[in-house]
Amino acid sequence: MKILRFLFVIFIFYFLFFISSKEINAQQVSLSLSPPLIETVIKPGKSILVAYTLVNYADPVILSTKVLPFEPKNNFGQIKIKEEFDGPIRFSLDNADFNLGQEFFLKTNDRQQLLLRIRVPEGAPEGDYYYTLLAETQPPTAQAEKTTSFAKATIGSNILITVTESGKVEIKPKIVLFEVLPRYRFSFFGKKINFFDSTDLIPLVLVVENKGKNLIKPEGQIILKGNFGEKAKFDIVPQNILFQSQRLITATPSAEIDCSTLSKIKACQSPISLIMSGFFLGFYRLSTSLIFGENSPQISASTSFFAFPLKIFVGLVIVLAIAVIIIKRFTAEE
Amino acid sequence: MSSKAISLLIIVFLFLLLFVIRSVFAVNMESPLFKIQYGEIGIAGGNKTSDNYNLSDTVGQTAAGQFNSTGYIVKAGFQYLHSIIPFRFSISNTNINFGTLIANTPQTATTVLTVSFGAAGQYQVTVIEEGKLRTLNEANNIPDTQCDGGANTCSESLAKPWTSSSGYGFGYNMSGNDVPTDFVDSTYFRPFPDRTENESPAVVMSSTNVGKNRQATMTFKVNISPIQPAGKYQTIINFVATPSF
Repeated sequence: MKILRFLFVIFIFYFLFFISSKEINAQQVSLSLSPPLIETVIKPGKSILVAYTLVNYADPVILSTKVLPFEPKNNFGQIKIKEEFDGPIRFSLDNADFNLGQEFFLKTNDRQQLLLRIRVPEGAPEGDYYYTLLAETQPPTAQAEKTTSFAKATIGSNILITVTESGKVEIKPKIVLFEVLPRYRFSFFGKKINFFDSTDLIPLVLVVENKGKNLIKPEGQIILKGNFGEKAKFDIVPQNILFQSQRLITATPSAEIDCSTLSKIKACQSPISLIMSGFFLGFYRLSTSLIFGENSPQISASTSFFAFPLKIFVGLVIVLAIAVIIIKRFTAEE
Repeated sequence: MSSKAISLLIIVFLFLLLFVIRSVFAVNMESPLFKIQYGEIGIAGGNKTSDNYNLSDTVGQTAAGQFNSTGYIVKAGFQYLHSIIPFRFSISNTNINFGTLIANTPQTATTVLTVSFGAAGQYQVTVIEEGKLRTLNEANNIPDTQCDGGANTCSESLAKPWTSSSGYGFGYNMSGNDVPTDFVDSTYFRPFPDRTENESPAVVMSSTNVGKNRQATMTFKVNISPIQPAGKYQTIINFVATPSF
């Protein structure tokens, strides 16, 4: 009987300890926001409604939303979100229970539709305006018992707005760089000669500048031609180039190469548009032609390189040298 | 030269040749007369054309009729990226607790950042502190680290070794997928950019090819000097994950 009473007390103690325990577990945040990108061409005086879906996959969380302008940070597609709102575009939420800047609660695995109203006032200047819709968690305001950093998670979705009265946009592209990154580069009578080993990966960089007032999206191919008439084609990935900016253009199949596991390869150590692989021999010419939609100007560029099996040649010389030494030794013994 | 010597020469030649020649990667090449199709030995071999890339042709000044009638055209998502899995960002632990700080004894804590995007797509994760680690009454703060100082002075954009127990401050290290290359190993740290000092957020993860579940570990480090006033220090670290455009 005493044992039973003892076990009962232990059980109650154990139960109450875990119920009343104030142990703080790691707070997890996991959010998704879709669609990740909105592109719109819109007349002054018009408004559109875009439905976003915000999903909370982790612990319950208090969130709020805001819209801030952004600008391209570099030519790799990264952005810099500005601290303050500017521009003529007006944003609001059509949700019944909260608006931009107001907090709302999202349970685990719950989703919230955000009805973003984008309004272009009459008289808004024609041009491009770039914004990011941000959904951010609210970090705890209570005092921690120890020295602590609270992480605040913010997830964004970009909005590219072209304001035009007529529907026409300005397309002024320019190829500013179309070059291979060679293993060796020589200058011969003022002309650069690119040189690779036959087994090298061939990294190519294509940078396009948008000198117009509206974003552009290149389409086209990069074509590799060999000296025996052989040809390989790589499609350009149609990524946006914002107005008055440059962007490194990528092409398939490089988009499928994961350089995080190939960081020791020289071709993966700097941003590139395309990596070509194969056994190259002789002279090769690379060219590209880009268009930017119907009736747009076509721009093109080309470059070239030589490839020879230097490594194999050196290997053969070493092999022959070793073989000759061995044979001489054997014949001397005979 | 005897037949024995010639045989030996051939054997040695073939044997060493196998060691010299390494496997090569392949690109399909063709002309009007022939097509050389290499096997998919390497990282980019074979045809990579996909139906995805031919599905939509909405670029440029199309749909003029639609624009004239409605006054707008809206396109959602990436033309080259057809995925039903949305852009997703996770932080494994939002309460980064350093416990009780002891002078000249560095304390560390970690959190894991995860980014997913159903198919290939570009993204970035930036970080900024909303002020220094400071007491609630804001009387005292722990400065941002300068790492080991001298030649090893780090900055918001350049990680340097921080191994000295007399190097005081607050900073972070990154390891894992898509992190900046200046985080050479676990001893390399940067200070956080400080919003109250009008500094720009630092990119801590980015890729032109995100895929699914790209993970990076951020290691926070604090080291205080013997004259650091006692107290509970707090700050907010703001992570912003955005897809590209």
